[in-house]
Amino acid sequence: MSEVRALIVDDSSVMRKIIERCLRQAGLDTLVVLEAGNGVEALEVLRTAKVDLILTDINMPSMDGLELVRQIGAQDLARSVPVVMITTESCEEHVKQAIQAGARGYIRKPFTAQQVKERVLPLLHAARAGA
Amino acid sequence: MAVSLRESVDKISDPGNLDASVKEVFQLMLGAECERTPASGEAESESVTAVVGFGGALSGACVLRCGNRAAMEMATLMTGMEFHEIDDTVKDGIGEICNMLAGAWKGKVPGLAAQCGLSVPAVITGRDYRLHVQAPEFQLQHAYRFEGRRFDVTIVCDGLR
Repeated sequence: MSEVRALIVDDSSVMRKIIERCLRQAGLDTLVVLEAGNGVEALEVLRTAKVDLILTDINMPSMDGLELVRQIGAQDLARSVPVVMITTESCEEHVKQAIQAGARGYIRKPFTAQQVKERVLPLLHAARAGA
Repeated sequence: MAVSLRESVDKISDPGNLDASVKEVFQLMLGAECERTPASGEAESESVTAVVGFGGALSGACVLRCGNRAAMEMATLMTGMEFHEIDDTVKDGIGEICNMLAGAWKGKVPGLAAQCGLSVPAVITGRDYRLHVQAPEFQLQHAYRFEGRRFDVTIVCDGLR
């Protein structure tokens, strides 16, 4: 796969590194990672940079992941870019909220590298096929 | 429609849920097996404590407490980096483990996950401090061992509706 630019949004820098490692283990050798610690920072990144994939936590200070996804749609920023929620919140209600907000995938923490691969790669391929 | 959790208090306070959550988080995120161990009075005076609050139908907290060496070992297993002091990365890692423990624990009881939110983690470091909750509804305090290190996880519930 050609260069993939992923925006990883999590208030934990350790978790951002773990997610990056999982993406590389999924075979994304040409991965370029952009990072943000909350939704506000993520929107700033999206105003200036092109990305192919967004992975975001839900529970974050300043702006949570659900509001981030809503704002991406409302501000017409990276609207066609697949967003995957990676979060400790696991109930049906949260999954429903995330999908309604615009997320296309959902991964519950704790997770394995294999789970990240299985959720993310099909979305990336589909997005590229539709581009 | 919100359902009363009071009727599920036996399921919520089931000690097996906490053990299963701890094992799951350590296996998946640290690649480490961990086992429950008898509580011990011995503790390093220098310790790291992460707290994630529960809010909503259940109020309380999930508390992860360990000595400095155990905290650095956990962070090493998570990140692959070596640590020689309790720096921001170690604190961040311990907070995130506590966050996942809290999420996994509340996800074990149908109905609890949807009605109970999590705070962002807070991490306390230092020596000779105690956490005290006045008259909790219930409290689970379990000790565990991984890679020769021990740590404690406490679930304290001070309100249930």
